[in-house]
Formats: sequence, C-alpha cells, structure tokens
Amino acid sequence: MTRDVTLSYAFGFVQKKMAASSGVKVPRNFRLLEELEEGQKGVGDGTVSWGLEDDEDMTLTRWTGMIIGPARTNYENRIYSLKVECGPKYPEVPPTVRFVTKISMNGINNSNGMVDARSIPILAKWQNSYSIKVVLQELRRLMMSKENMKLPQPPEGQTYSN
Amino acid sequence: MAENSGTDPAVETNTEENAAASATIIKVTVKTPKDKEEIAIAEDSSVSQFKEEISKRFKANQDQLVLIFAGKILKDGDTLGQHGIKDGLTVHLVIKTAQKTSGGGSSQTSASSGPGPSQGNTDGTGFGDLSGLANLGMGSANFMELQQQMQRQLMSNPEMLSQIMENPLVQSMMSNPDLMRQMIVANPQMQQLMERNPEISHMLNNPELMRQTMELARNPAMMQEMMRNQDRALSNLESIPGGYNALRRMYTDIQEPMFSAAREQFGNNPFSALGGNADNSGAQPSRTENREPLPNPWGPPDTAATTTSGTATTTSSTTSSTTPSVSNPLGISSSSLGNGMFNSPGMQSLMQQISENPQLMQNMLSAPYMRTMMQSLAQNPDIASQVLMNNPLFAGNPQLQEQMRQQLPVFMQQMQNPESLSVMTNPRAMRALMQIQEGLQTLQTEAPGLMPSLIPGQAPTPTPAPTPTPAAGTNTAQQQLMQQMLQMFAGGNASTPTPEVRFQQQLEQLSAMGFINREANLQALIATGGDINAAIERLLGSQPS
Repeated sequence: MTRDVTLSYAFGFVQKKMAASSGVKVPRNFRLLEELEEGQKGVGDGTVSWGLEDDEDMTLTRWTGMIIGPARTNYENRIYSLKVECGPKYPEVPPTVRFVTKISMNGINNSNGMVDARSIPILAKWQNSYSIKVVLQELRRLMMSKENMKLPQPPEGQTYSN
Repeated sequence: MAENSGTDPAVETNTEENAAASATIIKVTVKTPKDKEEIAIAEDSSVSQFKEEISKRFKANQDQLVLIFAGKILKDGDTLGQHGIKDGLTVHLVIKTAQKTSGGGSSQTSASSGPGPSQGNTDGTGFGDLSGLANLGMGSANFMELQQQMQRQLMSNPEMLSQIMENPLVQSMMSNPDLMRQMIVANPQMQQLMERNPEISHMLNNPELMRQTMELARNPAMMQEMMRNQDRALSNLESIPGGYNALRRMYTDIQEPMFSAAREQFGNNPFSALGGNADNSGAQPSRTENREPLPNPWGPPDTAATTTSGTATTTSSTTSSTTPSVSNPLGISSSSLGNGMFNSPGMQSLMQQISENPQLMQNMLSAPYMRTMMQSLAQNPDIASQVLMNNPLFAGNPQLQEQMRQQLPVFMQQMQNPESLSVMTNPRAMRALMQIQEGLQTLQTEAPGLMPSLIPGQAPTPTPAPTPTPAAGTNTAQQQLMQQMLQMFAGGNASTPTPEVRFQQQLEQLSAMGFINREANLQALIATGGDINAAIERLLGSQPS
C-alpha cells in the first residue's frame, strides 16, 4: 500500500503544481494524501495534529485530529481529540468535524460534540484551499476568543458517548 | 524483553541496547509548542522507550509526557511502527506538569478562570501572600509562570498595580537594591538577556540606577509625573491620525510586561521605562540601553513619537524606524509625513542609531521575551488592546483608540512576519525606507495636491487648481503603488488590501478581454500599478502562446 500511496502521491504532487497555475481543481485523493503527509511531518506550530484514523483507509475519509488547548484559557493543558470526516466532495465542501473530548465552546453541540458548520467561520465560508489543518487551527484560535476562553469546562478526560 | 536479553545476550532483543545492530535508527523530531528536539531512536522501539529518551532530553518525568502523532495519542504499550512513525517525521509532545502544559509560563487554569484578575486570584498565586513574595526572588521553577500571570493580570487591572505598590512589603523590598538585583538575576530569562546584553548587568550593578527605578516604582505619583512629561512632548503628535503615537504607546506598554518579567513583575518597570525617557539622569543611558533587547515590533511610528524628547536612546527609540513596514497605516504614514513627524530630531537620531547598530535590533528581536510576547500578543489581541486602552495617552483620544483597535490584528500579523523583522534588522533596508519617507515628504511639499489622495480614508482636501478627476487616475495608480511598496516592506501582509482585491476591477476587465491567466494578469497589474493598458502590453509581450 505504501508504494501505491507514494506513487499516487508523486502524481498528485505534479498535478497539484500544474493545477495551481492553471486553476484546475485538485483531485480529492491527492489533496488528502498531501494533508496526510503534512500531518505526519508536523507542519505548523505543533499545537494541532491530524492523521488518518485508520491507516488502511484507502478512501482517506476518516481522520483524527488533536488540538492542544491554548495557554491562558480554560482549555489550557488539555488535549482535545476530534474526528474529521472528509466526504467524497472534499475539498469542495468542508469536512464534518466532531469533538470526541468533551468541550464547552460556542458552535459545538453540547451533547454530541458536533461542530456546527454555520457557527465556525471557516466552515461556513469554506474554500477549497482550506484543509484539515486550517480547520483545527481555526478551532484552536476560537478557543482563545473572548467568548470562549473563560467558559467553564467539564472535567478533564470526558468524552462524548457516541 | 528483559528476560530475553538475560538468557540470550547474543540475541538482540533489547532494542535499546542493541539498537545499532538490530534495528535502523530513525530520527524523529519531537515538538512542543515551545521547543523542538530531534531524537534518535530505534525504529521498532515501543512508545515507552521513546518516552524514556524524551524525558531525558526534555528533563521531564516520563509520566508527564503525552505524545501525539497524526492526531492520535501514543500509548505506552504501542510501538512506533504501529503508528507509522518513520524517519524524519514529527511527533508532538505535551508535558503535563501538575498544573501547567509544556508551554511553560501558562498560568494555572483555576487562576485564570477565576472572576477576572481579582485579588482572590493573586492571593492564590501567592502574589498578595507575603511569604510568596519572598519566594518569588528565589528563581523557583514556578517563577516564570507566576510572572507571566502577574503581568497579565496587571495589564488588565491597573487598580491591582496600585494596590501592589501600596503594599508595604513590596515597598520595603523595592528599597533594597541588593534584593532586587538578586531577584532579577535569579530569573533565568534575565540571565539570558544579560548574556546577550552586558548593559543589562551594568545596569543591575548600578545601585544608583536601581534605587531610582525603585523610587519610581514605589511612587506612582512620580511615575504619573514622568508620563505626563512625555505626554506633553507627544501632544503635538496627537494631531496625526494616531498611528505613530498609538504604535509607540502600544510598544511601550508591551514593554511593560517584558520588563516586568525582568524586574520580577510588580509592574514597576513600565513606568520607570517611560519615566526613564524623560528625566533620569545618568541612569538614563544604561536604562535605555537595557531596553534594546526588548522588542519593538511596531517600529517606526512608535519611535517617532517617543523621540521628540530627543533622547535618541530611549526605549522607544530602539524601535526601528521602518515606517512603511507597518503594513496597515499606509495612509497614516503619508499623513504623518505630511506633519513633518519624521523631521523630528529624535527620529533622525533614532534612524542613525539603528543604522549604526544593527546588532541592537538583532538582539531585541531575538530575545526570547520578544518571541513570547509576540506570540502571546498575537494570540490574544485583547491583551494588547487592553494595554493600549489603559494607556493614559489614549484615554483622552477615543479616535486613537479606535484606530489602534482596528490596526491591532494587522500589527500582530506584521509583527509575526519574519520578513518585516528582517527588514528591521537590516540597517540598509531601514535607511532605504527612510529615504522613501523623505521622498514622500518632498512629494508632499512639491505637490500638495497629490498627497491627500494618497491618504486612504481621509477626505482629500479639495485641491483648487488640479482637477481631481484627471489626477484621479494617476492618483489611484500611485496610491496602489504606494500601498504595494509598503506592502512589500511588510512582507506582503495579507490583511491589507491584496493586489487581487485592489485590482479586482482590472482583473475582471482583463479576463473579459480574453486574458484567462489570472496569475499572469495579476502580476502584470501589479507591475504596472493597475494600469490596464500597460498590463495588456505586458501580457502580450510575455505570453508564450
């Protein structure tokens, strides 16, 4: 599988380069493979992490993400686990995001952890250049917003039941 | 595994001991929000073995380590191979201390979640606690966190500051220069600073200076006095739509916490810093030199303000003078030019100083404080705005406040932009910028009709003779050119109107004409400054087919 992945990734890379200049839409799998690689390489500032939920998932649909709660907020010192689902139309449509770790935050459903796409600006105004990383980073940024940072949080370690 | 190695020493089962022989060593990068280390480990190690290595390198307990890879938490029983961790990949690390993350410096959740920076919180951190005060000087591991927490709280609550000042213990402590010095030196951050800047240690060793500082700190009235002096000096700048003042003030206020950290919180510094600008005699120079390592992200406009007092070495003075590098206040820079701000002698000497001593900026910018400060500011624009609002200068000028508030996010971004940082550290670049400013100024005097249009958001003074309309075309182009130029300096900060946005109309026209290559169109438009005809010619000339 690795070889296939690598090969397809190589093709994807070339195509992406061409695509960027000609404005062609990048195929979903190539995009996701690129994101997979970024997730493993730890691109970014180290406060979010993402990867395939199941390494054998050839459809590259189910992803897990992790956000480290920002300092000086009530989310501090916690690691939030999320599930991100990139549907068949990704990246033209935003992924569905769900918190696994219990969290109290605007735009997150309190009973099942679903992220409301209408309340999160990045999901509401999705662009196909956005990625899982961007979503995670945005959620983290929202944790630091005035309205969220002081919200009382459930005890650490709790997860949503579904 | 242990048994195996016991019974079969020849068999390499203990990967740790026989790593070299049994499995390939891979280099895995371990990243914390603050730190990054490369760790060599055998490919088939278990997560707990990996953690052992990490605990040695990061000097933390194995139990405190939480490893994350590709969105999953690595459990001790797993192996690296299970998670697909290979050579060159990055694993995220969170060091859980009992109360804080590996980010260090972050305060306890309970404290921050308390009802704002109330005294209750401070008591909790031992701030109001007498014994706690004494402990603070010992450079304990908690020191930094306490410090930052206090900074934060102080920034958001000026009443607390005065309360602190009135605390007799604080006062007595502050009157003891030796103790202060000890405290300061005990702070590892200070030590770092001191290494970088011998001036700091000089300053610390100067009892006179220390005493003066403590005087200042102890006496809020004196501080106010100093600040008022400065304000007077700056009053002439108030007429400017605020950019420089604001920036400068913001800068000094940012310095507050930085210096507070250096001085063991207590917020004595911010004021002494400002005070230092105005009056302090011999103490002054060393004080200001001391400033240097502290960052001035907002460069040019700030400096201009402070330097009216003429003391080239004032803290603010170390702020670079790259006016244009502040991407946002494009209009502001033009207008400020119009007001001759840059002619102030202070500004000139500033520039000189910066040009002569690139090391200054370098030091400033590379100080660890700077990074922390910038990070925290960027993450929390509210702090910065709070800091700003508390600034007495702004108290009297809501217009300034508004402007600052709007410009905040831009400043943050610009600050974070490594390009603009490098511009600030490059004396030649800054000199060039100075020249540009001077050029703009000349422009203004020569062609007053042109300048108003270069100031976005300002009602252009109706120029009697030159009809605005024919000039409009050129003006827009020039304006865009200006913006572009300034943007370039700012490293192309995306929050200002990007060329794409600015040339929206032209782009549409070009695509209507059949030039479908948007990128090329944009390039051409940028190169020609929005002139469609010239852009078309460019495109035709360079189009391969």
